Amino acid sequence: MTAVVETEGLTKFYGSRRGLEDLTFAIQPGEVFGYLGPNGAGKTTTIRLLLDLIRPTSGRATVLGADTRDTAVRARIGYLPGELALEGKERAHTYLNFLADVRGGVSRGRIDELAERLDADLSITMGELSKGNKQKVGLIQAFMHDPELLILDEPTSGLDPLVQQEFLAMVREVRTSGRTVLMSSHVLAEVEHVADRVGIVRSGRLVAVEDVAALRERAVRHVELQFDAPVPKEAFDGLPGVRDLGVEGASLRCTIDGRPDALIKAAAKFTVVHLVSAEPDLEEIFLTYYSEEEAPHDRADA
Amino acid sequence: MTALTRKTLREYRRALIGWTVGLCAFLGMYISIFASMKDDPETLSAQAIAKYPGPLKDLMGGMADIATGAGFLQTIAYQLLGPMLFIMCASIVGNRAIAGPEESGVLELTVTLPIDRKRLVLDRWLALALGVLAVAVVTFAVVVTAASAAGMGVPFGRILAAHTGLFLVVMFFGTLAVCVGAASGRKQIALAVVGVWAVAGYVIETLGKTVDAIAWLRWLSPFHYYLDGRPLYQGWPVGDYLVLLGATAVLLMTAVLAFDRRDVGV
Repeated sequence: MTAVVETEGLTKFYGSRRGLEDLTFAIQPGEVFGYLGPNGAGKTTTIRLLLDLIRPTSGRATVLGADTRDTAVRARIGYLPGELALEGKERAHTYLNFLADVRGGVSRGRIDELAERLDADLSITMGELSKGNKQKVGLIQAFMHDPELLILDEPTSGLDPLVQQEFLAMVREVRTSGRTVLMSSHVLAEVEHVADRVGIVRSGRLVAVEDVAALRERAVRHVELQFDAPVPKEAFDGLPGVRDLGVEGASLRCTIDGRPDALIKAAAKFTVVHLVSAEPDLEEIFLTYYSEEEAPHDRADA
Repeated sequence: MTALTRKTLREYRRALIGWTVGLCAFLGMYISIFASMKDDPETLSAQAIAKYPGPLKDLMGGMADIATGAGFLQTIAYQLLGPMLFIMCASIVGNRAIAGPEESGVLELTVTLPIDRKRLVLDRWLALALGVLAVAVVTFAVVVTAASAAGMGVPFGRILAAHTGLFLVVMFFGTLAVCVGAASGRKQIALAVVGVWAVAGYVIETLGKTVDAIAWLRWLSPFHYYLDGRPLYQGWPVGDYLVLLGATAVLLMTAVLAFDRRDVGV
């Protein structure tokens, strides 16, 4: 099985500023790959390297088996830029027809079908599109030629929740038909429901590639428990994976790394009235990976 | 014509129509003044010339024969203001080939289409060339009509020769804007280079005739190859025009190679 996207030591410096360093990863056919990281971490740099908008300082990348410099291969890619700019007096529909002409492979009525699905008004001139409508036009042009590879940079920004759901359904359909998706985001919640694997990039370096299921397991969760009567703190001291424990009368707060199993079993000895477990916060997952990454450096520096 | 060239022409259409209307109004109005000057050439041309000090007269191309049809047409339409306005039009539109859309971010999607980068520059330049050609054809028709209505008596062939030169020098600067934009991705840089080269080139060509110290610089000025052959008086300066064509081709090639090499939208 040949990888759809494959990079080896891919590095990009803007002058002396690091954009991306030594990126080696592969995306397999039929996979939805979530590319996560805070703003400025190197997500967009990676994507723009794959599309040959910018050239690597060193390393190499192939897309659909071809070098990124290969122009023809881009007809088989759908791309949604992170900051999509559309302007001018041209109607959105005319612009989409132009893109379809150049790329080929857009069946009749496909544009209207997608427009209806995303509830986009294509009769508006591009300069007057709202942010949400712009993003819809961007999604339509990325999906309309049924590309083998979709590269979507922050695809859900500016979409209202209903359209987001429709978009996620479209991504699932792409995966079902065996095609591949690379989508970036700075919010795990946006990709966790569709992505098979996620890569986490931080300060220009890929710090982890994980199955989404495994990542959830490693995620940090804040848990709050309410009991019907005050509980002794000692009953919860030293539980594996439990940090920042605080017991005040009948309420308990703590942070859990990984599985909540030990805490649940300890709590089962008492009567639980109320349990709140916050959605894992991606920023904290980053921090976990980041501190693991940075700690050895600190020692080396000292 | 490729889909990209057609699309680019649609983008330029409004600006080109606007400039055509403006240039035609300018040319038509000024040429029609000749009809009144013709009534009393001696007094009126003396008055006109008297208004300008010596060096300024040089800048306006001498003006000695402003009372004749060819002299008037040269001074008004083909010497300074006509070319400068038309060059402004071509460089502003030429800036929209690469640098404009790159700065606004619109170019991002275009570059990721299955179009070779070299092809992309050529297609967008071709749209500029066709647009400028259309403006040149319309303004030519206006000049010919207005000149004959004003009774200038300049032969059609001479006007065609002069207007062809105008088209070539305008395309040189339009292509220069495309080239600097393609190499740098910055509109301001492209406009600055065009502005400085056009103004300095014109001054050097006109003053260089009398000031020996800068005479050798004239060969660097595109206006030298446009003005020196005096097409309105002497017909086609074929060699000069070929130099303009060749220089434009070099600029276009530079644009293509520069854009193919660099990062876009950084």
